Amino acid sequence: MKEKLVFLGLALIVMLSPVVSPPARAQAQGPDCAGGQEVTITFMNWWGATREPLMNQVIANFNEICPNITVVNAVQSWDGREQLVATAVASNEPPNLIMTSRTETYQFAYQGLIEPIGSFVEASGIDPWSIFYESEIGNQVFDGELYTMPLPTAGGISGLYLYNKEMFRQAGLDPDDPPETWQELEAATAAMTELDAFGIAKLGANILLVNDLSSSFVYWLYTNDGQLYSDDGRTVLFNSPQGVETLEWMVNFVNEYSDGLEAVRDFMAGAPDLTTADFPLFNELLAIEFVNVSAFGHLENTDPEMWADPEMWGVALRPYNADNPNAKSAGVSGLAFSWGYTIPVNQPQETKDAAYAFLEFLATAVDGGCYFLFEQGRPSPVMACNEDPAYYDANPYWDVVLESLEIDVSVSITPVQGQINDILSRAVEEAFYGADAQTVLDRAAEEAQALLDEFWSES
Amino acid sequence: MASVQKREIAPSVSVTQPARKRQRWIGYLFILPWFVSMIWFDAIPFGMNLYLGMTDYSVGPIEQANWIGLENFERMLDDDLFRQSLANTIYYIVFSVPLTLILAFSIALLLNTRIRFLGLFRTVYYIPSIIPVVAASIIFLWMFNARAGAINQILYAIGIDPIRWLTNPDYTKITLVIISLWGFGAQMIVFLAALQGIPEQLYEAVAIDGGGLRARLRHIVIPLMTPTIFFNLLVGLIASFQVFTTAYIILGPNGGPLQSGLFYMMHTYNNAFRYFEMGYASAMSFVLFLIILAFTLLMIWTSNRWVYYGDE
Repeated sequence: MKEKLVFLGLALIVMLSPVVSPPARAQAQGPDCAGGQEVTITFMNWWGATREPLMNQVIANFNEICPNITVVNAVQSWDGREQLVATAVASNEPPNLIMTSRTETYQFAYQGLIEPIGSFVEASGIDPWSIFYESEIGNQVFDGELYTMPLPTAGGISGLYLYNKEMFRQAGLDPDDPPETWQELEAATAAMTELDAFGIAKLGANILLVNDLSSSFVYWLYTNDGQLYSDDGRTVLFNSPQGVETLEWMVNFVNEYSDGLEAVRDFMAGAPDLTTADFPLFNELLAIEFVNVSAFGHLENTDPEMWADPEMWGVALRPYNADNPNAKSAGVSGLAFSWGYTIPVNQPQETKDAAYAFLEFLATAVDGGCYFLFEQGRPSPVMACNEDPAYYDANPYWDVVLESLEIDVSVSITPVQGQINDILSRAVEEAFYGADAQTVLDRAAEEAQALLDEFWSES
Repeated sequence: MASVQKREIAPSVSVTQPARKRQRWIGYLFILPWFVSMIWFDAIPFGMNLYLGMTDYSVGPIEQANWIGLENFERMLDDDLFRQSLANTIYYIVFSVPLTLILAFSIALLLNTRIRFLGLFRTVYYIPSIIPVVAASIIFLWMFNARAGAINQILYAIGIDPIRWLTNPDYTKITLVIISLWGFGAQMIVFLAALQGIPEQLYEAVAIDGGGLRARLRHIVIPLMTPTIFFNLLVGLIASFQVFTTAYIILGPNGGPLQSGLFYMMHTYNNAFRYFEMGYASAMSFVLFLIILAFTLLMIWTSNRWVYYGDE
């Protein structure tokens, strides 16, 4: 096994060498390095842990092109992130480039706190719409203006799941035929879940993000041919018949096959994500977990033995409701996990220029964002990057990953999305505690619609 | 001839008008650092908070804030989570404040006796107060985990069914109350200091009258400790109204299942930093200030009836 790992490591290095060696760009033209003047910029971001050295490498690659721009990689702790980002962007001396979620980008753009980057893009001569997937770059447009470029993908967040093949075998299920529909998922979960005095001992499938019931609901809604909002983002649609059916199915699934919401929360509380070695999926305690594309890098780092053996794990698309003829596997993009890098207005022009130069490199360059995401085993929002054959060698399920990007649906959101998420989460949770699905969704829709109406009337 | 010793008599100190003025000026100079910091860090933020509470301020330049009068305060009346968070906070206070007080007082009484390793015990009981709240919260998060947590494992070993401490809405608040008892050490030290100030003769007087431990406690210790009890009660009450960190870490920003652990400060925080409703959050902060002020005044007013200062 050791030799196998060493071989795999060497193979990975060889595969990566064309990616990391020469500073290259996704497009020929690029930033003018802030006119060549010596500038130092602070890059406030949340790419900590194993990603920090990767980002430092990206900065080093950038400095080969723009040696005059010093980028301070200011990695922050996730604790109190919202508080920090809000105070930072509004301060008189903000960091020059700040990693912000889509909701934050929209909120700050709405308040006039960040710079639209249209003029920088024009001066640079690149065409973001031909570089990025349309939904990815579209997520960063607010009120007709482009405010940032995406990294990582907003897509690939909900469209797939990771499963433990050994648990399938133990339950007498075919590990090469994972569930494709809600109904198959129910059967598989029933076959693999085991209870004990403390609740769930082994869980077939965790269909929830236990601390984000709103997103959980929306992700399943789209696999039942439902919609969160109308296409123009002005009308709430989640209380549709598909929405009610989705919520009823979720509640029934969790109560019937997973011993209820509290049991699932307790089961998942011990190991919140794939970055911990005792995550139940790595230990034959959880068979199916709905993950985002960051899972591959985490799996590789946390359980390299499992990562190295595709007979131990698999990837499949999110199941859909087979009882609904219009339903199909789908993912949701831009709702809860869509990151960009924004340039606060409160700073001199030369640092804005330098911040944009780095942003463009980070988001579009082969040895920028492409390298950064490849190293984490996750796809890039830059189309060309994902066509690299090295991805297929590194990840045996790369075709499923790309398929999950293709089935993603981008949702329209507004700066009030944070409040709507909480309203919807409360409604979903109440349904898990016995409230009628139609009633709670109607009430949530009414509250959410009022917020949307207020926002659009002021815009 | 006997010499007469000439006694030097110090001239009487007469403070002239300019000297008095200079002394006064020096006094002001001494309090200036406090005064400046009070203006800068308390008075101005307080005034700004009150002003922002009457605007629709979101985030960014304050000039963008629009004056909306009492609209934010009216909005609280229709805000279900405002009522729920306030109710949750009062529940927490009702249990946490007295229980912490009783525990701190009891342990202080025990540590005021002459037993071996007294210094060690005092240190051990005080240490929790200086452990960072975040670290302690994470430890408790694990201890109260329904599956792997030590608490349920112990309960199960003695035949009690595991309890969903943090995922059952009926248990979340009481779990946080239990966790809050961890920090009793600060109050205990204050009690201990006060206990050591009680004159020994008073205990002797009780002994001469044939009184035992109970009589000492009832007629000497508790009456003389009432100023300290009052102080700890007041400080505990003010701190409990602002309960935030532990609940936020353990239950998340929405306060756990069915918002059963959503406290007032968490709701304020959510409005400020997750929804960017700074104006509304400022109004909520001002209301919290008024609530705490009202409770403080009520306690001061009632203290005349039960707090004994010794000069009455």
